[in-house]
Amino acid sequence: MNTYETPLILFTVLSQLSIGLVAMSTLRQIAGPDIEPNKLRMEWLVAGGVLLAGMIASIFHLGHPGGMVQAITNLGSAWLSREALGTGVFLALLVAGVIIMREKTSLGLIVVTALVGLLVIFSMGMTYSPPSFPAMNNVLPFVFFFITAMLLGASVGVLFSSDTTLPMVSRILTVSLIVGLVVYLIVPCIWLSGGEIMRQTGEQWLASPLYWGRIVIGLALPLAIIWTLKKTPGWLWVIILVGELLGRAVFFANTVHTATNMGGIY
Amino acid sequence: MTKQLGFFVDSERCIGCFTCAMACKNQYHQEKGVVWRKVYPLKEEIYPHKERAFYSLACNHCENPTCLNVCPVKAYYKREKDGLVVHEQEKCIGCGNCIRSCPYGAPQYNPVLKKAEKCSFCHQRIDDGRLPICVLSCPVDAIQMIDLAEVDTTGMVRFAPGFPKQPSLNPSVRFRLPKLPVVVRREDL
Repeated sequence: MNTYETPLILFTVLSQLSIGLVAMSTLRQIAGPDIEPNKLRMEWLVAGGVLLAGMIASIFHLGHPGGMVQAITNLGSAWLSREALGTGVFLALLVAGVIIMREKTSLGLIVVTALVGLLVIFSMGMTYSPPSFPAMNNVLPFVFFFITAMLLGASVGVLFSSDTTLPMVSRILTVSLIVGLVVYLIVPCIWLSGGEIMRQTGEQWLASPLYWGRIVIGLALPLAIIWTLKKTPGWLWVIILVGELLGRAVFFANTVHTATNMGGIY
Repeated sequence: MTKQLGFFVDSERCIGCFTCAMACKNQYHQEKGVVWRKVYPLKEEIYPHKERAFYSLACNHCENPTCLNVCPVKAYYKREKDGLVVHEQEKCIGCGNCIRSCPYGAPQYNPVLKKAEKCSFCHQRIDDGRLPICVLSCPVDAIQMIDLAEVDTTGMVRFAPGFPKQPSLNPSVRFRLPKLPVVVRREDL
C-alpha cells in the first residue's frame, strides 16, 4: 500500500531545512547581535530557495497539480490545508525579510517568522499522524520533523555563523545528532511491544536498509566526524541531508497501514 | 440519534462467493485495480478452523469520517438525511490524503482519473428507493442495509476481531461473528 512518495519526501525535508535555518538565525540573533544584515539576508534567501524547491516538488504528488491553490479550502478541519497555508505564509515572511532587512535586521520579523515555521512543523506533524498508521498516530511525526529541522538547520547554519556564534550552532547540531540517534534507535524497538500494526512497523523499519543507512550516514557518521575533527566542517550538511532523505523514505515506505491486516489481529 | 445508514455484515452467513464485490464492479466499472468492496478472509489467528469465514467490507460511512476531515478541498460531505459519506470526484485534486488517512482503506486511487474514489453506498439507488447493489446481489443475505438509529443491535458486534477499532470515527457497520464449525465425529452419529 505504501510508496516512497518522493515529492513528499523532498517537500517535507526541504521545508524543514528551511524552517531550521530560520530557527538558527533567530537563535543567533537573540544570542548576540553579530549578524550582518547581508549575511542574514543571504541565509534567508537560501531558506526561501530551498522552501520554494520543496513546494514545487510537492506539486508533483498531486494527481491534478492545477488544483494546488484549492488545497487551502478546508482550513476548518484539514491539517493539510493549514500546512499549505502556513508554508505559504512562511515563504511570504522570508521574502519580506529579504526585502526589508537591507540596512538592519528586524528581531520582531525574525522571531515571528521562526514561530510561524514552528507552527508549520506542528501542522505537518498533525497531517502525517492519521489513525490509519498506529505507529505514527501520536506525537512522533512532530518529533521526527523537529529533529530534521534542527539537524539540517544547524548543519547548514554553520555556513552563516560568525566566530562568536559558531560554537553555539555546533553545540545545537551535536546535541540534535545525539537526540536523533537515541530517538531513532529507541522508537522502533518500542513499536515492537505495541499492537500488531505497530509491531509490524517496528519490524519493517528495523529490517530496512534505508533505516540503517539513515542511522549510520545521517546520525552516527556526522557525530564521528565532529568527534574526530573537533569541529563542524561546512560540508557536513550534505551527509546529514542524505541521511534525512533516507529516513524520510523509511517514514513513508515502511510505516504499516491498518488496512493491510484486515481480517487479522489488531 | 439521527438516521445513519450502514452495513450489517453477517459473517455467519457469508460464504465468501465475492458476488457483492463483483456486483459493485459491474455497477460502477471501476478501473483495473480499483476495488470499492472487498471480501476479506479471516486469518487463522482469529478463526483457526478448516472452514473459512469472511468479512465483506467497503466504506463504513463513519459518523466522524477521517476522509472528510482531512480532505483539503472539501471533496467529501456527509448527507444529513441518512449519514452517508459522499465523495465529489470533480472537486478532488488527487492528493491522496484520504487514502493515506482512512484506517479501513476505503478510498482508492483511480490511476486513470488521478483522483480518489470510494463506495458511495449507491446513494443514487437509495434516493430511488432501491437497495445498494452489493446488498441486493448477496445470495445468502450476508450484507444488509441497516439504520443505526433504529436497528435492534442485539447480537451485533461493533468492532469485530479482524476489524480496526476506531471509536472516534464510529464506523457505521455492525457484524455478526461467524459461528464455530460443527465437528461431526463417528461416535456422535
